[in-house]
Amino acid sequence: MNFKQKLQRLFGLKKQKPSSSESMMQSGKSEMMQKMLTMLSKTQEVEMTCDDVFAVLDQFAELAARGEDVSKLMPLVKHHIDMCADCLEEYRVLESIVLNAA
Amino acid sequence: MEKRTNEEWIAGLRAGGDQQAQALEDLRAIILRGLPYAIAGKIAPNSLESEALTEDVAQETLLSVLKYLDTFEGRSQFTTWAHKIAVRAALTELRRRRWREVPLPEMEMNEDGDSSYRELADDQPSPEEQSERKDMMKRVNRIIMEELTEKQRQAMMAVAMHGFPLEEAAQKLGTNRNTLYKLMHDARLKLKKRLEKEGMTPQQVLSVFEQVGK
Repeated sequence: MNFKQKLQRLFGLKKQKPSSSESMMQSGKSEMMQKMLTMLSKTQEVEMTCDDVFAVLDQFAELAARGEDVSKLMPLVKHHIDMCADCLEEYRVLESIVLNAA
Repeated sequence: MEKRTNEEWIAGLRAGGDQQAQALEDLRAIILRGLPYAIAGKIAPNSLESEALTEDVAQETLLSVLKYLDTFEGRSQFTTWAHKIAVRAALTELRRRRWREVPLPEMEMNEDGDSSYRELADDQPSPEEQSERKDMMKRVNRIIMEELTEKQRQAMMAVAMHGFPLEEAAQKLGTNRNTLYKLMHDARLKLKKRLEKEGMTPQQVLSVFEQVGK
């Protein structure tokens, strides 16, 4: 690793490490309340859990990668990944793999 | 590497002996091709750290694949199913590394009985907007304090407002990701219903905060 890469790595890692106070400053306090209210507005009586979604995420990612309308074919999965940042992140990575590396 | 059908993967991995060893070796190579997509932008590519992480995740994934092989229902390519397991393992580890030292945000009550949500009103709206927003903030605070359990409040603060990964918040709260999602879903439903009972929709409350800064 050269000096530049070391610096990039050092500062890259430092930048990625969050703290709650940094997070509050970055997103803005008003924005945080808006985030919660936006989640409330999208809340449905029946929602899939993370485990439910994980069980079918491979199928969902393949459908999405083929350009199918996943919001019609698997609406509850689509809704969950709109609500859950962890599952959304996993879906996005998996779809990238299906499109590029599978 | 010979391309296998789903059935061939299953048969190979169940076969034992050299046939299983070959299938595991081939699957490992496929998993290692996918993992850079999971770590991209999070740790430096081609570093010792990324090499160690991908090796560990690939190994963990192969063990999980063998353990859960019977649960594969053939609704996708077998390799997509295996990538799914690898992606979750990699992202779980990356989230743990990134957030493990970040404490959950605390929600403290002040002497007026308001929670720290009150402090959120720190922008510079007009006096009318400020007053409307302050009233709404107090109302939302009251509803949150009355409707949610302490654990639900902590989870909403951490995940919905501070962007904590569900997985990490769950670990810090002594539960798991799936249970925490259910707990937060229940919390969201309670808040939504209570707002409706008080004649408001989340969209209406949201509009009060969205006015600020426009």
